[in-house]
Amino acid sequence: MAYVVPFSHVLVLAAILFLLGAVCALARRNLIMILIGVEVMLSAAGLVFIGAAMRWQQLDGQAFVIFIMAVAASEVAIGLALILYSRRRTGTINADRYNLMKG
Amino acid sequence: MTVILFILLLFPLAGGVINAVIGRLLPRRVSEVIACLGVVGAFVMAAIAFGLGGWKSLHLIFFDWIKVGTFSAAFDVYYDPLAAVMILMVTFVSSLIHIYSVAFMREDTDYVRYFCYLNLFVFSMLVIALADSLLFVYLGWEGVGFCSYALIGFWYTNLDYALAGRKAFILTRIGDVTFGIALALFFYFFHSFSLQYINAHATTLSVTMATVFGLLLLWAAMGKSAQLPLTVWLPDAMAGPTPVSALIHAATMVTAGAYLLMRLFPVIHLSHMAMLVIAGTGAITTLYASFAALAQVDIKKVLAYSTISQVGYMILGVGAGDFVGGFFHLLSHSFFKSLLFLGAGCIIQACDEEHNIFKMGNLRRLLPHVYYPFLIGCLSLAAFPMIGGFLSKDRVLEATFIHPAPIYKAFWAIAFLAALLTVVYTFRMFFTAFLDRPDGRTADEIKPIPRLMTVILWPLAILAFCDGLLNLPFGPISNGLAKFLAAVPGARVDLGAPAAVSWGLGLGDAALVLVVLTLTYFVFRRPRPDFWGSLNETLFTAFYLDWLYLNLIARPYERFAAVLWRDVDERGINAGFENTAGGFKVLSSLMGLWTNGKLSTYLLMLLLGLTAMLTVLILSWHW
Amino acid sequence: MMLNFPLLSIVVFFPLVAGFLCLATSNRQLLCRSIALVIAVTELGLVISLATINPHPVAGPTGTWMLVESHTWIPSLGMRYSLGMDGISYLLLVLTAFINVLCVLISWRSIIHRVGSFHFFLLFLESSVIGLFLATDLFLFYLFWEVQLIPMFFLVGIWGHERRVHAAIKFALFTLCGGLLMLLAIIGLYLLHGAQTGVYTFAYNELIKTQLSSTAQFWLYAAFLLAFAIKIPVVPLHTWLPDTHTHAPTAGSLDLAGLLLKTGFYALFRFAFPLFPDAARASLPILIGLGLVGLFYASWLALSQIDVKRLVAYSSIGHMGIMVVGVAVWNMMTLSGSILQMINHGLSTTALFIMVGMIDERLHSRKFENLGGLWYKMPVFSGFFLFFAMASLGLPGLNNFVGEILIIIGTFQVHPVIGILSFAGLVFGVIYILRMVQDTIFGTPVKEHHHVLFDLDFREGFTLVLLALPILFIGLHPGPVLRLLDHPVQHLLTQFSAIATVATGM
Repeated sequence: MAYVVPFSHVLVLAAILFLLGAVCALARRNLIMILIGVEVMLSAAGLVFIGAAMRWQQLDGQAFVIFIMAVAASEVAIGLALILYSRRRTGTINADRYNLMKG
Repeated sequence: MTVILFILLLFPLAGGVINAVIGRLLPRRVSEVIACLGVVGAFVMAAIAFGLGGWKSLHLIFFDWIKVGTFSAAFDVYYDPLAAVMILMVTFVSSLIHIYSVAFMREDTDYVRYFCYLNLFVFSMLVIALADSLLFVYLGWEGVGFCSYALIGFWYTNLDYALAGRKAFILTRIGDVTFGIALALFFYFFHSFSLQYINAHATTLSVTMATVFGLLLLWAAMGKSAQLPLTVWLPDAMAGPTPVSALIHAATMVTAGAYLLMRLFPVIHLSHMAMLVIAGTGAITTLYASFAALAQVDIKKVLAYSTISQVGYMILGVGAGDFVGGFFHLLSHSFFKSLLFLGAGCIIQACDEEHNIFKMGNLRRLLPHVYYPFLIGCLSLAAFPMIGGFLSKDRVLEATFIHPAPIYKAFWAIAFLAALLTVVYTFRMFFTAFLDRPDGRTADEIKPIPRLMTVILWPLAILAFCDGLLNLPFGPISNGLAKFLAAVPGARVDLGAPAAVSWGLGLGDAALVLVVLTLTYFVFRRPRPDFWGSLNETLFTAFYLDWLYLNLIARPYERFAAVLWRDVDERGINAGFENTAGGFKVLSSLMGLWTNGKLSTYLLMLLLGLTAMLTVLILSWHW
Repeated sequence: MMLNFPLLSIVVFFPLVAGFLCLATSNRQLLCRSIALVIAVTELGLVISLATINPHPVAGPTGTWMLVESHTWIPSLGMRYSLGMDGISYLLLVLTAFINVLCVLISWRSIIHRVGSFHFFLLFLESSVIGLFLATDLFLFYLFWEVQLIPMFFLVGIWGHERRVHAAIKFALFTLCGGLLMLLAIIGLYLLHGAQTGVYTFAYNELIKTQLSSTAQFWLYAAFLLAFAIKIPVVPLHTWLPDTHTHAPTAGSLDLAGLLLKTGFYALFRFAFPLFPDAARASLPILIGLGLVGLFYASWLALSQIDVKRLVAYSSIGHMGIMVVGVAVWNMMTLSGSILQMINHGLSTTALFIMVGMIDERLHSRKFENLGGLWYKMPVFSGFFLFFAMASLGLPGLNNFVGEILIIIGTFQVHPVIGILSFAGLVFGVIYILRMVQDTIFGTPVKEHHHVLFDLDFREGFTLVLLALPILFIGLHPGPVLRLLDHPVQHLLTQFSAIATVATGM
């Protein structure tokens, strides 16, 4: 029987990864960095899915991960395009400069 | 008969409507002819109706008006001798006034509007005279009010004139309130508005209710007939063109109040109390207005106060239980007063719009065509013996004198004093304006006036002179009018006074009038503007009544309206709502600080929210 | 009468659907206006012709409907799409369609921006108001009630005068507050009824049978009453009205005064009174009191206004006061009078608003200080102005008199003092109307304005003649109109005789 990584380890790793992503998304003002942070968080979630799939021996989790990867890929594509466009319109990619939503 | 009366009403109405709708497109002459035809046609119809059945009492229905449940009011007329004579008089005098107006308004460009109102005015008055349903009467009543408003303020570019019109409308409308209440009350008791029905069933009313009705109707009549305390609009009503004054004072409007009381005589007759108040109002108004007329300098204002005073006699006649006398006076008054006003119109135009009698003088020489008719009018107004005005006034005085209640003797004394004052103020005006004097007008200060205007005076002068024949107190055709009116409920043919009383009163009256006339001649044959000395101001302002209304009612009313608007509505109620809304707005802007537009803040909040939710989930998890 | 053909629905939705044509032709103004006019006139014809189908309905147990229509809508919640027309709604429908024709006519020259959407909103509003007057399912009614806010909001907010947004929001907030309370009350009633009978429905004919405790009645009725009182408006809830009128475009004022205020009344006696008879009876004295206060207060206040339009707006509140009295006295004469007065007010006040609009188009001011002496340059205009002013102050022979006298005499039979007071209130009316006439068309003409003051053109004259004719007709021969009201009013009275205050045999 092959050595199985315990589920709790997977969860801890995913949590660390998620936190790193969250901190990145929160702390940085650069839109690209925020996008990367979000991607990292998504990967963390994917990791949990995979771990869970292993733990319960169900393929559903892995299927989800494929979906998440597809969504994340398209998100990056669209997100980068938007960021590029915003950069061209406003000349900056500093998130706090975009304050049109101010109430 | 229905058709005739319908056409009678239709004539002036159609004249007014045609002029209102297409008058501006018509040539001037056509428009004038239409207006005159409207009234003359009505006169012809009135004469035909009179010939066919003036002595009958007919209730004729044209068509339904308002009908809801048991509430029903129709366009219908009650044609009885009283109405028959009334419409004859109204249409006749109005016809002359219309024709006169054609000449009088020859330079005014707004003739279409003028003739339209004039026709509607006559129409409304005919409605009052004829209508059976009191609601229909009310239509005429308000119509008269409106037309007087429009005509008094006819020269609207002058603010004072327009204000005078408004004053007339508001004051008469205040009077109308009680008419409305009386309407409602009539409906409450009789479930009908029919005058004829109400009169026939009047005896079912209790005395208290009759008193209430009497007082309500009196107040309404006070408004229209300019009796105390609602007199103040009539002197101001002089602002309108002079023929309008003639119409208001003689043929329409002012007599409407007295006429209404006569029409509903069976109801008010039931209550001694009401009759007493009516008689008292009439008597006191008569004296009051006579005093006020003494000091006026505007020829039309003298005539205006004289109208108030003369209408007082009509009301007194009704109050004394002899509406025939009142009606007789109404007739003779309408002739001599229209004569006087039309004459005054001639004088004013000839003197280049001068109203002040002290700036006239010498008119006997300069305007002989006006002088003689005007003299007849003055004699009639002053009750010169055996002229119509004398006989009618005498009948009213006699009826008052022989009334059993003692207080009527006091009324008689008041009214008699007023009759003597009438002589004074009438001839004060007459002598001042007409007699020769060195500082009077000269021939080149007189403008020519159309012949038509002076010719029109003559038929009226003849009538004013001879209308005593209608109701002579003695002789083969004695009490003609009274006999004709005998079929009207409540009419007394003969007053039934002992011959001695009757003759004594008549002769005494005549003698005193002659004496006072002579005295007046000696006092006023020279102009004496300051004759009344310190009393002048009081008399001139008619005992400050107008001033009192203005300062005690009108101004405070207006001022309070402003307070109500600015302070109560805007600063009170509205501000309350606005501040509530404002409070929410402040609250929301506080919340708005949170949404500072920074993406990072939003992300942080998102995560914090997520964390909070997870925490709650974890804490509440049943391990 | 139940028709297989959905005639009533067509009447309701035709303006809305056809209104899209206006949107489509927005950039060709003349075409767009013409289309709107054709739609409005067609709708008017359609509405008028409704009476020919079943002019004398047989009184059924649920009312004297001339036409009804009912379809399942959301069965799971018991909501039906049901419409019904009786004499009262018929008259109001005709008024609605008529006023909408006027709205299109008078906006011909004054509205030049976004013509398409303007007319679309007008027609949209017409649809919602017509639907409201026809709905017999409470939820459907509520829907129309709230929907009418949307077009009105935009009409005021986009095409209004200087402070239009403020006015639009104020109007919307006031009405929404009432509307939401009413929704709560409707749902409450729905639940109570469902709990009692097991049948969950919004149908008015069913809900009316609900047995309610007096507390429940009180709260539900209070919510209804508040909603309607805001709309009518009853003093002291009136302050939105002058502001909205002052800043609304003329067509908006027309719709507001002519139609929207009427919806409050309509709902009051159609729904609120019959549904909660006991609570309603208890409220009648308060309503009478408020009505009287409104009559005097608004008439008094109107006197001191400096803006003609605001004066007319306050006069509107005064007129509403006497109508409230009429409804609250609740007998044959007063109720007929009040309903007739709804039509009358719709005609005469509308006419005044139109004329004020015409002044505004010429002078770009409605302040009295800039007016005066208009007769000198505009005699035809002034003649009409005087005519409508007289109609408004209740000159006999013109329309308002008929309604007012019915209300007053009917009131007098039951409460003499109130009858007298309301009659006296009309004198207050005379004072401000005369003041308005005085300061507008009389007085000295202002020289500087002569070049802008031109008299009525054909379109304007035609519009006013259109209004003058029904005013005269109702004033002189109200029979046909009153006959339409006879049965429905009788029905309202007998079915809910519980709240008829005193049996006066009328």
